[in-house]
Amino acid sequence: MLRSLKGLLCRPLKLDRGFALHTAAKDRVSSLLTQDVQTAPERPRAVFYTNENDPANHAEQHEGRLYSIPLDELKTVFPHGLPYRFQQQIKTFNEACVMVRKPALELFTYLRNTNFAHPAVRYVIYGERGTGKTMTLCHLVHYCARQGWLVLHVPDAHLWVKNCRELLQSSYNKERLDQPLQASSWLKNFKTSNERFLKEIKTQKQYMWGRRDRTEAGRPLAEVVEQGLARVRNASDAVGVVLKELKQQSRLGPFRLLVAVDGVNALWGRTTLKKEDKSPVAPEELTLVHNLRKMLMNDWSGGAAVTTLSQTGALFKPSSAYLPQELLGKEGFDALDPFVPIPVPNYSPREFESCYQYYLQRKWLQHEKAHTEAGKEELRFLSGSNPRQLDRLAGPL
Amino acid sequence: MDGPRALASPSLCGQGTVAAGMAVAVGRVLQLGSRWGAAAPGVQTLRLICTTTARQRKNVGASGPEKYTEAFIKNQIEEFNLGKRHLANMMGEDPETFTQEDIDKAIAYLFPSGLFDKKARPMMKHPTEIFPEQRKIQWGEDGRPFHFLFYTGKQSYYSLMHETYEKLLNAQKYQDQLIAQDLPPQKKKRNLAGSRWLTKIELEEMLLEKLSDNDYSRFILLLEKLMTLPCGDTEEKYVQKFSKEVPVQLQKVVIEPLKYDERGVAFSTGEGGRKTARATAVVYDNGTGKITVNGIDILHYFPVLQDREQLLFPFQFLDRVGKHDMVCTVSGGGRSAQAGAIRLASAKALRSFVTEKEVEFMRQAGLLTPDPRVKERKKPGQEGARRKFTWKKR
Repeated sequence: MLRSLKGLLCRPLKLDRGFALHTAAKDRVSSLLTQDVQTAPERPRAVFYTNENDPANHAEQHEGRLYSIPLDELKTVFPHGLPYRFQQQIKTFNEACVMVRKPALELFTYLRNTNFAHPAVRYVIYGERGTGKTMTLCHLVHYCARQGWLVLHVPDAHLWVKNCRELLQSSYNKERLDQPLQASSWLKNFKTSNERFLKEIKTQKQYMWGRRDRTEAGRPLAEVVEQGLARVRNASDAVGVVLKELKQQSRLGPFRLLVAVDGVNALWGRTTLKKEDKSPVAPEELTLVHNLRKMLMNDWSGGAAVTTLSQTGALFKPSSAYLPQELLGKEGFDALDPFVPIPVPNYSPREFESCYQYYLQRKWLQHEKAHTEAGKEELRFLSGSNPRQLDRLAGPL
Repeated sequence: MDGPRALASPSLCGQGTVAAGMAVAVGRVLQLGSRWGAAAPGVQTLRLICTTTARQRKNVGASGPEKYTEAFIKNQIEEFNLGKRHLANMMGEDPETFTQEDIDKAIAYLFPSGLFDKKARPMMKHPTEIFPEQRKIQWGEDGRPFHFLFYTGKQSYYSLMHETYEKLLNAQKYQDQLIAQDLPPQKKKRNLAGSRWLTKIELEEMLLEKLSDNDYSRFILLLEKLMTLPCGDTEEKYVQKFSKEVPVQLQKVVIEPLKYDERGVAFSTGEGGRKTARATAVVYDNGTGKITVNGIDILHYFPVLQDREQLLFPFQFLDRVGKHDMVCTVSGGGRSAQAGAIRLASAKALRSFVTEKEVEFMRQAGLLTPDPRVKERKKPGQEGARRKFTWKKR
């Protein structure tokens, strides 16, 4: 009778797969030139793929299907922000396939129907661990990038409240603390994703950096960013300036602003950082956090703010917490209120099916029993249709 | 011995409050049991013959100095009855209808004991149950033994053999008569399956005398030979004295039929345990494979893959992975024990959904057997169950 699928050695997969994919990758690269038409004459596309690469055109009939993001676009749109495991998967499969799911489609309809004269609406994506919140956010970011929005993507706000080696006292405000490293890395990635906007947007005020440097009004924002990157001490302030300018200008300006924050519950929780006198640091005392909070208030218009809750990096929160109330705490909930909650569930049977077929087609599941119906049922049972569990289960197989 | 006639009288003997304890080497005086002799129960001369270890419930030792005279036993019986009435009075029951079970319950209530060995706990039983039967003296005042086979040494055994052989001869004579009358020899079918002969120890207890293995086997052979012949009623009764009923051992496990709840969905329950964990599982038909444990989804309750695999196993074995829903409750034990307990409970519940052959397959796969392994006891002088203290050379 059948036994469990696990416990059998998997053969060395990388070499075979790399070789098999090499030929496939060559085809893909050649077909990338014409982005509208995806032709792969040797491999007929299975049902679960969709050729529709523009997220703008994704509709319900594409639900449950995977679409791929071209790799060079990936570099500009997502210098940061993709989950680590997904990045590894991209490297392995040599393509970035994202599943179209209902929460994302919902968000698209909302965004299409927003009235940009009104204050920005805040959306909070929540769900249990490993259900695909960050991936939904990334899907949205891709959509907005294609639409020509200016995307302010904070990959994980938790990175700003923990594991920080250097804390400088802010020159702008004596109470606050700067984080030069985090700020500069974020600025770098921000630059790669939004180069052309930075040249167009002009500052409206004059800013003094220390005693000598200054940026005049009317200079392109790129200069502010350069300043922040060059002088790391001022990086956090540069971030603050960028945020303020964008907030003010999004109302009038020709661009739409999307503020995408992953792990927004970090902004209102506790930090693990300590000052020199070993007293704990409250999140308000960090410049970056302070500025981001201001950004997330709904006193600006001309865009939208989409945030994700994340328990995985959350500090001092129980692992079973996933609802907005639990993770944000009272303070955060009041600050974000009113918002539109968007729950992200586990895979539906159809989505599970398509994910499973994708792995099969990519030859990721090498075990002979994984190809059978019984194997599929077993995977479904053991993962509980949770995307992360399925991903981890399929790894060794 | 004649203690005060209070409730704490020696009738409440348990751990051998009476004279020197039962386990001590005490000899017995030969007393002729009433079934073997017609002699008057004259117990006057107590002559020591020899001593052996006498232990309760083991075979009757040979002679020795008398521990319990008849008068003593009678005394004990009187005290027991009186004590019984006192006890009934104390418990507020009617002394006339106070049975032995009531006595046991009352004693357990008045003297609660946590001792593991039931025989070590306080008990109050009729003296005949407590004091073993003894042989009364087998010779009279003049020293002349009552039984004619006394000087064989094993008087009761040989007299038993004689009696049985007599019955055998009678039966043979009867059969000869039947043949002489040209009637077919009747063979009465005896139910051999449900009965067994007395064991050697039981026979010794009956005869109040030690036997050797050889003697015992000879007696049994004789009985078997007697059984082969057609016997009359008296012989039947005689042989039945030496046989015992053996209860039927095979108990077929009853598989419960499916029950239907108010929605019309078939379901069945099962219980299981492993180590200290106990689980009950209710398996519903027409399901999607959703499993809830104590109200929590299994993905949250068992974050470890190994536990979920354990839950998967019964369903996968029967190829019914996505077809049933399950609601379980579990308590006690650790993570692994709870998973094992739920596995057993779900396998038991699934028996009702499945054919007999598959139940047999499940049993052979070990899905229906409760795991007997429990935590081993820590021994003194060692750090754990097996681990010894660190050995130091000096």
